[in-house]
Amino acid sequence: MHQRSVVQVGASLLIVSLALSACGSRSDTKTATNGNKTAVIGVMAPLSGDLSALGLGIQHSVELAVKQANANNTIPGWTLKVEAKDDEGKPDVGKNAATAFAGESNVAGVVGNLNSSVAQSTQPVLATAKIVQVSPANTNPSLTQGANFATTPVRTYATYFRTCTTDAVQGPFAARYLFQKAGFKKVATIHDKKAYGQGLVAAFSKEFTALGGTITAAETINPDESNYQSVISKVKPTAPQAVYYGGEYPQSGPLSQQMKAAGLNVPLMGGDGIYDPKFIVLAGTTANGDLATSVGAPTDSLPAGKKFLADYAAAGYKEPAAAYGAYSYDAANAIINALKVSLKGATDVASTRQATIDALGKVSFDGITGKVAFDKYGDSVSRVLTVYKVTDLKWAPVLTEAFK
Amino acid sequence: MDTFIQQLINGLSLGSLYALIAVGYTVVYGILQLINFAHGEVFMIGAFGALSTSLVLFRGTTALWTLPVMIIGAVIASVTTAVLMERFAYRPLRHAPRLAPLITAIGISVFLQELVRLNYNQVPFTSWNPFDLPDAKSIIPFPSIDVVTGPAIQMGGVTIQREAIFTIGALIVCSALLWWFINHTKMGHGMQAVSQDQDTARLMGINVDRIIVVAFALGAVLAAVAGVAQGLQNHNINFRMGFLAGLKAFVAAVLGGIGNVAGAVVGGLVLGVIEAMATQYIPGQFGGSPWKDVWAFVLLILVLVFRPQGLLGEKAVDRA
Amino acid sequence: MITFPPAIVAKHSAKALPMGLAGAGLLVIGSLLSWSYDSQVLGDLSIAFNPGGLQIMAIALALLAIILLLAHKGPLTSLGQWADTERGVHALADWTLIFMAVVVVTITAEAGGLINVQPGCWISLLGAVLLFLASRLLLAKKTRDLAEAVLPGWVEILAIVVIMAALLFGTAYALSLADAMVFVLFLVFVTGMAIAGTRAGLMSWLGHVSLRRKRELILAAFAVAFCFPLTQGGSDANMSIASQVLVFAAAAMGLNIVVGLAGLLDLGYIAFLGSGAYVGATLSSSGFATIGWKPPFFVVVLVAACFTATLGLIIGAPTLRVSGDYLAIVTLGFGEIFRLTMFNLDGNNGPDLTHGPNGIPAIPDLSFGSFNFGDTHVLLGVPIARFSNYYLLLLLLLAFIILVFHRLNTSRIGRGWVAIREDEKAAEAMGVNVFGLKLLAFATGAFLAGMAGAIKAHQDVSVTPDQYIFLESAFLLAAIVLGGMGTIVGVLVGAVILKLLPEKLRFFADYRLLLFGLLLVLMMRFRPEGLVASRRRQLEFHEEDEELAVRVEGDIAEEVQG
Repeated sequence: MHQRSVVQVGASLLIVSLALSACGSRSDTKTATNGNKTAVIGVMAPLSGDLSALGLGIQHSVELAVKQANANNTIPGWTLKVEAKDDEGKPDVGKNAATAFAGESNVAGVVGNLNSSVAQSTQPVLATAKIVQVSPANTNPSLTQGANFATTPVRTYATYFRTCTTDAVQGPFAARYLFQKAGFKKVATIHDKKAYGQGLVAAFSKEFTALGGTITAAETINPDESNYQSVISKVKPTAPQAVYYGGEYPQSGPLSQQMKAAGLNVPLMGGDGIYDPKFIVLAGTTANGDLATSVGAPTDSLPAGKKFLADYAAAGYKEPAAAYGAYSYDAANAIINALKVSLKGATDVASTRQATIDALGKVSFDGITGKVAFDKYGDSVSRVLTVYKVTDLKWAPVLTEAFK
Repeated sequence: MDTFIQQLINGLSLGSLYALIAVGYTVVYGILQLINFAHGEVFMIGAFGALSTSLVLFRGTTALWTLPVMIIGAVIASVTTAVLMERFAYRPLRHAPRLAPLITAIGISVFLQELVRLNYNQVPFTSWNPFDLPDAKSIIPFPSIDVVTGPAIQMGGVTIQREAIFTIGALIVCSALLWWFINHTKMGHGMQAVSQDQDTARLMGINVDRIIVVAFALGAVLAAVAGVAQGLQNHNINFRMGFLAGLKAFVAAVLGGIGNVAGAVVGGLVLGVIEAMATQYIPGQFGGSPWKDVWAFVLLILVLVFRPQGLLGEKAVDRA
Repeated sequence: MITFPPAIVAKHSAKALPMGLAGAGLLVIGSLLSWSYDSQVLGDLSIAFNPGGLQIMAIALALLAIILLLAHKGPLTSLGQWADTERGVHALADWTLIFMAVVVVTITAEAGGLINVQPGCWISLLGAVLLFLASRLLLAKKTRDLAEAVLPGWVEILAIVVIMAALLFGTAYALSLADAMVFVLFLVFVTGMAIAGTRAGLMSWLGHVSLRRKRELILAAFAVAFCFPLTQGGSDANMSIASQVLVFAAAAMGLNIVVGLAGLLDLGYIAFLGSGAYVGATLSSSGFATIGWKPPFFVVVLVAACFTATLGLIIGAPTLRVSGDYLAIVTLGFGEIFRLTMFNLDGNNGPDLTHGPNGIPAIPDLSFGSFNFGDTHVLLGVPIARFSNYYLLLLLLLAFIILVFHRLNTSRIGRGWVAIREDEKAAEAMGVNVFGLKLLAFATGAFLAGMAGAIKAHQDVSVTPDQYIFLESAFLLAAIVLGGMGTIVGVLVGAVILKLLPEKLRFFADYRLLLFGLLLVLMMRFRPEGLVASRRRQLEFHEEDEELAVRVEGDIAEEVQG
């Protein structure tokens, strides 16, 4: 009898329709209980995986800012909500998250991403939907100034801003520190080929050679690898006095340890991507002496920053604010300040998006990382950077300066 | 010259890892004609087993005597995994067409990776973490045991990593034990018999099922040792480490001659050395470590085209 | 399931029909009244004589029960000859009871107290209970073989149209449901109707009809798929996922030619999709594209397909002489080589063709003359937005691929592939050009994947090496294995399930891959031929099963006749 296989066809068609039906579970768009309208501030960051320490810090800092804004009724008639989506540090996943945000009508702004390579994929999506995007951590200059930022800067996406400074500043800052303050004339560079690492090393190398130093070796690693012996074997014979690494801590930590164990006993210096306690855990006991730069002054060096850390601790989040917590807080507040202007008297979020973009370009206030304002490219006007050194197996600030 | 010796040592160290894992592939293939795709995961679980032993029993200690205990922990973890895999996933498919066990193996591989990633530090469906194990979703530092890790030994211009010495030493010891097992014990003879002709072996009174379990367990033991070695070399482990290592080990097994244990060892070492030399000596943009894996796969294709029986295999009449 | 002992059944079986009819009647009456005091629960069920969605479903269940009961013993017994009404009512009553019970519980839980459950609901519940009891008292009957049921041709075609339309509007309705519990109850409703229909023999009859009317069925299926965007009312959210499903299905169908028809185990197939996507991206007008040539899209698709086909030939030529297991690993190796090459060609480790790990973002939308895929067009009064445009284009591509598949399958080439699959040596001895046919399979699969990839690049806006990892190949293979290797419907089903469910069952997000791995293991253990099995495959996997062989023979004979 034909019954069985037909039942299978029937069942399959059924499953198909049911599966399609599963599309239907949309989130509720009820209004808040006190009659206020709801506006959503989205967060896109790596909430899982290797960089989750940084991503969760970003998420919680934005949540803190929104919590305080709601408590102070900063935007009358509106309640703000935070919706966080995981981009896993991958361009593809980030793009899907951005597409999801673009499809929601009550998203007023997004704080994100952490990785420059992810932002390259999310910028076009959010720009088409005219949703403002403020990054607390993207440092690649091409994101705001276009592919030829060194010669002909042009602002490609009017919706994209950032509260941190760029690698066009961070790289040379590190170069000057290593050449002038630390006295190293010969440095080898390694990067992980992603947009952030590559751009940082390029900016560093250009300034370092302009100052008169020599780059003894320029190598790359595959971020999926965990054994760097072959690269170390190629770099070691060139006898560098330091190694400058462009990339994040899951690779640089083991690199630092393997380097020292193989006899290349020189400091490893990196950018804000390696500035995280987990770097020291992964780099092991030989990490002392390693250096990193990070955007802005140490959070606890300013009174406003201290208050932020105290509020953050009081709010009881499981993960610490990490390197970008303060910048995310300022990014969220920048959006909130812009919404103060654009949501006034408005009935829904979607129609105010252009107004939000205009307002955000004009915000200016004292955030916890310093002055928060954007130039015509969407870059932050503040160019303060700090050099940190690993001392006693902890990061300690060594030098804080505004880059000129 | 120094660079050459340096990379030779790098290559032998890397190759020893491949060799240890490749034996597992080759032994199972010799008996069952099955590529145990999930063998890489057995290797990964061995590493995690060692880590757990160290964290649970010796938290904070890095003394050398903890190393054998860690190895035992690794072996227990990986052998359990391999035996369960054989019993519940492969045995029912003994007589199925070749596609079925292969897909099952892929399924097991994905399943085990995710199982470790999600449930290493919490009992499933709860958030109970009795031994305070770290989260497996990102990379976990592996304890640095004294004597076998630490500053490298300098001999002239050549840097010899202590971990490399451990790995190569482990391979030598394991190979010796393996050779003795296969050639001088009853089980070993049984394995040879079953790999030659299963039905005749059964007629001769050999318990084929038990031999198969032993084959899986044997591969698992060596994979566990490899897991500990890799953990010591890289100073960290993560749930994804089994995938590529497993693939490379398979390449090594094919290179040496699949089904041939000595071939697996030789193939592993040769592959490791070729990879190291390729990263050093291929000039220009196509050199360096980013292309390392590509050369390994190219080598696989070349071997299968020009010498499918591998370096140490006999030319089989019917290869199709 | 719960049944009464035979003695009681024999004694009371006469009461079964009136009790059943009474139960169904009560169900209808109760559903017309108000069910819930609170109008926020389960989508407004509080107004009498204005049935909400769930109440209409209950009425539908009741009507089906009435039809089946009357077919059992009453005016419709001529229908009853064919339908196994006893089992049908049995199943229907089970699910109706579950339905009503869940409704009562949900109203109580969400509205806060039994007091909110109105009399109408209690009446309906009572009706369901009566129906349940009645179903247990029905006597079993003999039915005739549904293969002999022949209705006029237009009735059969009408049936197909009706079923397809029901699928379409049912899906659109389900998609519009916002409340989770209403959705769950809708699932219960659909399951109840389906199982009742199956038990009653409806599905069998449909199966026979579809065997005879294959062409109409396929046309109807495509019409339904085509109309799907029109039911969305302008919302693009679901179309994004639907178009991703279509790309996946197209790739799976291409792989089906390689694995399903020719029996070549390819674990690196995602590389072909990726190669098509990268060619499409590189030749697009993205700011990051590395090659200066910007041809019109048709040329791009052709170039991508030919490039990928060449890649397939390059991969195939050295490796097709090796046997199954090795081929799998070698193709896996090739997949990894492709991914690593795309990862490395960023100016540091090779010429900058692909921007390495950053990929090529900002790929603009397709545009043919003035028709830009990014704009919203209006079709029959319904706005068709960006993803819907891509959906329709991909539907055309999928139709083309299925056509190619079908023509190859039923041609000499297809028979050659079957021969190779079953026994290569014998095929070669019989004069089949084994190597040439294998190469053709690879090249064809690659060509089709290249086409799909070129469109995917534009739909996805950016192309990165991360999208083309081994796991994606595993998913493609799993779709084919799960759905049924070598069949068209099977692969489509498998592709839809595997791509859609993880997207939508969000609460499983973390466990998605774990369940996938487990699913593969269980599938190969218990049903290796897949959900919709090609009969030939079934025979391959269940060689010992004599019954199956006889059944398959009968089915093939019938299909040849029709």
